[in-house]
Amino acid sequence: MEVEVRVFSGLEKFVPGAGPGKALLVQVPEGATGRELIAQLQIPSDQIFTMFVNGRHALPEQVLQPGDRVALFPPIGGG
Amino acid sequence: MLSAEQLIRYKRNILLAGCGEAGQERLLAGKVLLIGAGGLGSPAAYYLAAAGVGGLGLIDPDVVELSNLQRQILHNTGDLGRPKVDSAREKLLALNPDLKIEAVAGAFTRENAAALIARYDFVIDCTDNFPARYLLNEVCVRSGRPFVYGGVLAYAGQAMTIVPGRGPCLRCIFREAPGEGAPTTGQVGVLGAVPGVIGAIQATEAVKYLLGAGELLTGRLLTFDALTMTFFEAKVQRDPDCPVCGRKQSGGIA
Repeated sequence: MEVEVRVFSGLEKFVPGAGPGKALLVQVPEGATGRELIAQLQIPSDQIFTMFVNGRHALPEQVLQPGDRVALFPPIGGG
Repeated sequence: MLSAEQLIRYKRNILLAGCGEAGQERLLAGKVLLIGAGGLGSPAAYYLAAAGVGGLGLIDPDVVELSNLQRQILHNTGDLGRPKVDSAREKLLALNPDLKIEAVAGAFTRENAAALIARYDFVIDCTDNFPARYLLNEVCVRSGRPFVYGGVLAYAGQAMTIVPGRGPCLRCIFREAPGEGAPTTGQVGVLGAVPGVIGAIQATEAVKYLLGAGELLTGRLLTFDALTMTFFEAKVQRDPDCPVCGRKQSGGIA
């Protein structure tokens, strides 16, 4: 199944073809979780601070559905 | 009633649709608290002072260090070793003697947070760590105070405005503090103009809130990437399971 993934704020360096906020269509197995998507994208898990699925905060174990919009952010914590 | 001098000083504000003399009087009566007087606090406080937001609060435990001057534009080389809030207060009053400034040279803690925030209309998150942001978020949600989050790292920045009861809070979208391996500006750097952009956005939100003008950045996480010069907005929703504002919280407001 296909999900739409956007990575932000430096995470794009881990994902070939990604740009900040650029939508990428990614094929994942049926029943894949957020954590499995992150592993498939080869983004180190300690770089992920928050994941949104369809605009709502999601836990890594959330099972993805076809067409889900996934956004991944690192911690942007400086001031 | 604005003085003759104030009518000139604030003329470019007064000309704005949505401001006028009445709006300027609201700004002069407004009180905004900045938690942190560094990279974000410098531009945010400068713009609020220039706009004539009459009551500013600054709290920061640190002294000015040489490595701060690359981005913390309230402080000069001659301020090295001074408390940041003292240096900031001096610059802001030199810019605008109309202001009343409360400067607290200390940490923002669970002990002082609620009393400090209760004295202000709006709060600006200029902190450099998530535990302080979570405390700010919790106290603001419980007391119904609006605030604007800001964060920067390397070439990236983020901002979102939290109005308790209207849209998500910070813990709705950033559930757990980052792990030990998470990068910091001390490790990967930060371009000075990036907190300049985000701090200016934060000051804009505070002024809009005081004026009641426009649409606040609620329910929209704005991200800025300086390398590609891209702004992107992620629409975000309130989480019913949020540990701070969710429906299961006795102190929640769902």
